[in-house]
Order: sequence, then structure tokens, then C-alpha cells
Amino acid sequence: MFGWKGTILRVNLTDGSIKKESLDLKDAYMYIGGRGLGVKILTDEVDPGIEPLSPENKLIFMTGPLTGTMAASPGRYEVVAKAPLTGTIGGANSGGHFGPELKFAGYDGIIFEGRAEKPVYLWINDDHVELRSAEHLWGKNTFETTDQLLKETAEDARVACIGPAGEKLVLFATVMNDKHRAAGRSGMGAVMGSKNLKAVVVRGTKSVDVADPEAFYKACVDARRKLKEHPVTGTGLPMYGTEILINILNQVGALPTRNWKDGGYFEYAEEISGEAVREKYLVRNKGCFGCSIGCGRVTRVPEGKYKSFGEGPEYEAGWALGASCGVRDLAAICKANFICNELGLDPITMGATIACTMEMYEKGIISKEEIGMEAPFGNADAIVELTRMTGLREGFGDKLAEGSYRLASSYGHPELSMSVKKQEMPAYDARGIQGMGLEYATSNRGGCHVRGYMTSPEILGIPVKLDPLVTKDKAKWLKTFQDLTAVVDSAGICLFTTFAIGLPEISAMLKAAIGWDYSDEEVMKIGERIWNLERMFNLGAGFTKADDTLPPRLLNEPLKTGAGKGKVVELDVMLKEYYEVRGWNEDGTPTDAKLEELGIR
Amino acid sequence: MKVKLFAYLRDYAGVREVEVSRCETVRQLLGELCGRFGERFEKELFDKENLSGRVIVLVNGRNILDLKGLDTELKEDDEVSLFPVVAGGR
Repeated sequence: MFGWKGTILRVNLTDGSIKKESLDLKDAYMYIGGRGLGVKILTDEVDPGIEPLSPENKLIFMTGPLTGTMAASPGRYEVVAKAPLTGTIGGANSGGHFGPELKFAGYDGIIFEGRAEKPVYLWINDDHVELRSAEHLWGKNTFETTDQLLKETAEDARVACIGPAGEKLVLFATVMNDKHRAAGRSGMGAVMGSKNLKAVVVRGTKSVDVADPEAFYKACVDARRKLKEHPVTGTGLPMYGTEILINILNQVGALPTRNWKDGGYFEYAEEISGEAVREKYLVRNKGCFGCSIGCGRVTRVPEGKYKSFGEGPEYEAGWALGASCGVRDLAAICKANFICNELGLDPITMGATIACTMEMYEKGIISKEEIGMEAPFGNADAIVELTRMTGLREGFGDKLAEGSYRLASSYGHPELSMSVKKQEMPAYDARGIQGMGLEYATSNRGGCHVRGYMTSPEILGIPVKLDPLVTKDKAKWLKTFQDLTAVVDSAGICLFTTFAIGLPEISAMLKAAIGWDYSDEEVMKIGERIWNLERMFNLGAGFTKADDTLPPRLLNEPLKTGAGKGKVVELDVMLKEYYEVRGWNEDGTPTDAKLEELGIR
Repeated sequence: MKVKLFAYLRDYAGVREVEVSRCETVRQLLGELCGRFGERFEKELFDKENLSGRVIVLVNGRNILDLKGLDTELKEDDEVSLFPVVAGGR
């Protein structure tokens, strides 16, 4: 077998059985692996109407055929399940070393079913696979858990686990691997917690074979050269990390500030920028398995009340806990971000939920007594303490643990939740970047930026420059980005490669690895197939066109300053075009002809 | 007008912010800055006479590629931002 390893583990946590199943090659050719294959398996085996935290949900860890090879940035794997935060198809992609190690042990993925009676972890040592008790680990944070597991298995093993947040079913809990890398969004950690599965530990000593080593080597060298030469992947990301985006988004007036109510300009942005991280706290940069970019930040706050050490903050975490909460104290942001990693929380939803709380506090909707502290915008102590309380579901943290939509709704103000399909939107004010508005409204896992990153053409001008303030051509470009991203997430490489390489380079690596002669068009068709299958899952779960929308603030409250002054998101125009471009009916459902064309029906 | 510099362009220029007057177009302004900050800065900004693909130039938050490029006109109270092409997103 080339690219793929050919074996998937099926672990039934209810009865403790472990089976090794052959990879369905027909599905693999149609959905590649990672996100695509995970979604295919979930759709085949799970009724979209189930309750996400019930034993009926399945939790799928899936690598791609390029994971663990010498392809460009090949450290990725995807976790797929029905998402507790949104009720949509869920999924989250992560780097580090866990995914490659799973391949080296001989497996493309793992399907977890049912629910263990008591906490367990899965130990995979090449061919030997067993479930072990994790009762002694329950309650431990992700760092303690990882250290303890390496002690009792093998020091060179790799660990993916949940922290207290996943155990306590915080709806936006993450799966953390290699301590600092997160399958972050939509609450995959809560699904893991609901199954009483504390961790997966893997050690592998095999390798990944490719079909045409010579062509593969050539394709990889070409891709890696392009990554090295490109200013973003060769210089910007290694030098400053993703947090470098703070200043540019602020200067274009699209850095959402104070729960998006103050428009896209944060007056203290410089203090929380990538430049500031580099000057004040950066120890070094760090890459995932086989990555030539190395966008990760190893950071230390050396002194003061927020003294701490860890990785990040990434742009999203820096924004969510910073500008979104009106907080300018970078040390506090670092500290709160590290707590997210330790307790296993998605920092985007965490920061956005605190920001929502702060707005409700300032409006007098929630009192100091209820929160347990004063929580105006800008309170640095509050982001640190509320993050900790959420991960442990302590006090008011128990309410924050449900995310901003459920929190704001419980006070009668759902409009103050800056979320789409109940998942919080990330760090791009779509009033100033129109295409991002369409992206948020149509993303299959709710408010999300990494499944069709329109910021790339609209702000950075990659691969072409699109005017961020107009709606023209956004639907067409978004479809291309969404479909290509689905391919990337399924192949097992990092999305950041796509700043420097595109379809031809990705296809070349994929084809040489698995030995299948796809045309580039067929590769894009796979992405489109995955996107439509995810849409079908969501329709089955009860979502409709009415859910493809944005918070009223983005549709009705114009930006007050900056280049986009006076703009709201012109969603109606773009959404109509989008359904047409997708070949869907006016109500947002894929036509029978489209489903047949894609081989879904 | 005020010119703000970001990321490693600050190292190249040795400043974060600079006041420049009497420039009617972006081309003139960038020429003036290259004169002040030297060859390394100029190489980052220009490929011959054309704006290089390595920088982003904003006038009052608008990318000049969405305006009139190097011929974009400037007023004394404009704010210009210069970025290397940088990216990310989590």
C-alpha cells in the first residue's frame, strides 16, 4: 500500500473490543483521508440527528496519505465527530507529531465508538493495541497527562489527550497533542470526554511507502523550494508567527474589537502584535513534523503576576483574549492562552465568550455578583481567571463552558453572541472583508476562518488581489478556496503551505505518493465532494438556509471607522451567488444532479 | 503625512513611524523613503520600477492595489502603512 497504510483501528469503548479493519480503497480514492475520509465514515455510520455527547456519536482520528511523508509540512491529522458546540458536522485539524506517529505504527486512523464505563486510554505500540485504565489521569491537565503517559508507556511515544475541560464536557474543549498542538474547534475534546477516553498514546517504528519515489521526491523538493522562497512561508511565519496579522488587520480596520461592537480598530493593537511577542517573550520558533515553516512560538513571560511558559499565542488566541476583550496586556494574554492549552480549551471561543460576557456586564445584563468579579472590557485579570474557571467549570465558568450563544441566550440576548451556527467567529471583521462574511455564513462547522481563507486574496493579495470592500467574485473564489482546503485537510499537509503552493504542487505530491493518476480537476472534485457531503450531514441534522447567516451586528451595524467605514456585510447578494456557483437549489440544498455528479448519491 | 512601518521593515528603516511631506503620489512617497532608508529597503519595495510582491502598501487602510497602485494620490493628512507580505491565521 502506498501513501495510506491500509488499516484502520475500530475501538468499541462500550465493550472494549479492538478490531483492525482494511481501509476501503474506493472511499480512500474518493475522499483521500483526513477530514474527507473521516466525514465519509461518520456520514455512513452515524445518524446526523444524534445527540453529540451520547455514545451514538463516533470520534474519528484520521491521517492522510501525505501525513508522515517528506511532503511539504506533512504533520497533520483530523479529528471528526458530530460537534457538540454547533450540532453540525464537527472536525478539527492539528499538527505536531501525533499524526505521523500513527502512520508509523501502521494505521491510517482510529474510529472510537460507544462509551467506556470508566476512564481509559488507548496505547498503540506498533501492532500491539490495548485499552488501559486512565482513572489515575482523570482531572490532570494536558501537560501532566502527557508526562505521566510517556512515563508509563514509552518515552518516545506521542500523546493526544484531553484536559479537565474535555472531561467536564466544556462544549469547546480541544484534543491536545504533543502538549501544545490542538485539534481546536467545534468541541472534539468534549466528545472525547463524553466517551471517557482520556488519551491516545502511539509509538510507531515503521515507515510510509510511496508509489513513485522518484516523482515524489521531485514533487516534494519543488514544493519545499517554493515554501522557502515565498515571503510568507519562508520569512513572515517563521520570524513572527501568525500573530503578525494583528497590525495589518488593525490597519485595514478589520480587527474585531470589544465583542465586535467597536468596529475593526483596536487602539492598543501594537502592544499585542506579533512584533511585540517577538520583542518581549519569544524564546524561539518551532515547527511540526517535517515542516520547513516553523510558525510555532515558544514563549516565556519571565516575571510578574502572569509569569508563565508555553507556546503561542497564535493570532487567533491573541486577538480573542486581547482585542476582542479590549485587553492590552500581552503577558495576561499569554497566560490565558497557556491555560487554554493546559486545560484543553479552544481559545477563540474562550476569548469570544468572555468578550460577550464583558459586553453583557457593561450593559448591566450580568452582575458582578454572578460573575464573581468585575468584568469590564480591558480587565486583564478577568481573562486569566475566567479562562481557568471555564476549564474547570468552576462558578460562573460553568456558564461560560457552554459558549457565547447559549450564555447570551440564557440572558435573553442571543444577538450579543458573535457566532455562526453557535460557533464563535474568528479574528476578521467581515464588514471590512466581505468574502470572510460569506465564509463564516457558509462554513460547514459554523464560524470559522480556516475552511476558505478569503483573507488571503482580500487582504494579503495571495494568489490574486481582491478588493475586500466589494462582493464581486467572492462566491466563486470562496468555492475554490473551500474545495482546495478540503483537499489539503484530507491529504495530511498544513493549510499554511497554500500561501506558496497550489493545486498543481499538491496534486503532484498526492499522485506520486498513492500512485493514482488523478487530473488536477479530479483532485478539486474531491474537495467539492467532501464539501457537499458535509453539507448533506448538516441538512440531515436539521440545518437550513436560515442558518447560513451572521450575527445581526454584522448585518445591521456599520463599521464606525477605517477603510470599511459605513459598511455592513452584504450577505444576501453573495449567498445567492454562492448557491448558484455551488450548483445548489435556491434553498441551499445540493441538487440531485450535483450529488450524482459527485458520486455522493 | 504619517508613514507607519511594520515587522522587519522597521529593522530595515530603523524607525517605526516617520513624517513625510510634499509627496503627491505613492510612487513619490516610496521613492523618498528609499532615499532615506537605503538600498536594502529599496530592494524590498521595488522590482525595478514596479512595486515588489513582497510588500503591502495601505493608504488610510486601503491597499493601493485596490486604488491606483503607485499612482494613488496622496493628501497631507493621509496615513500610509507599509507591511512585508505576512500571513497566518490559526
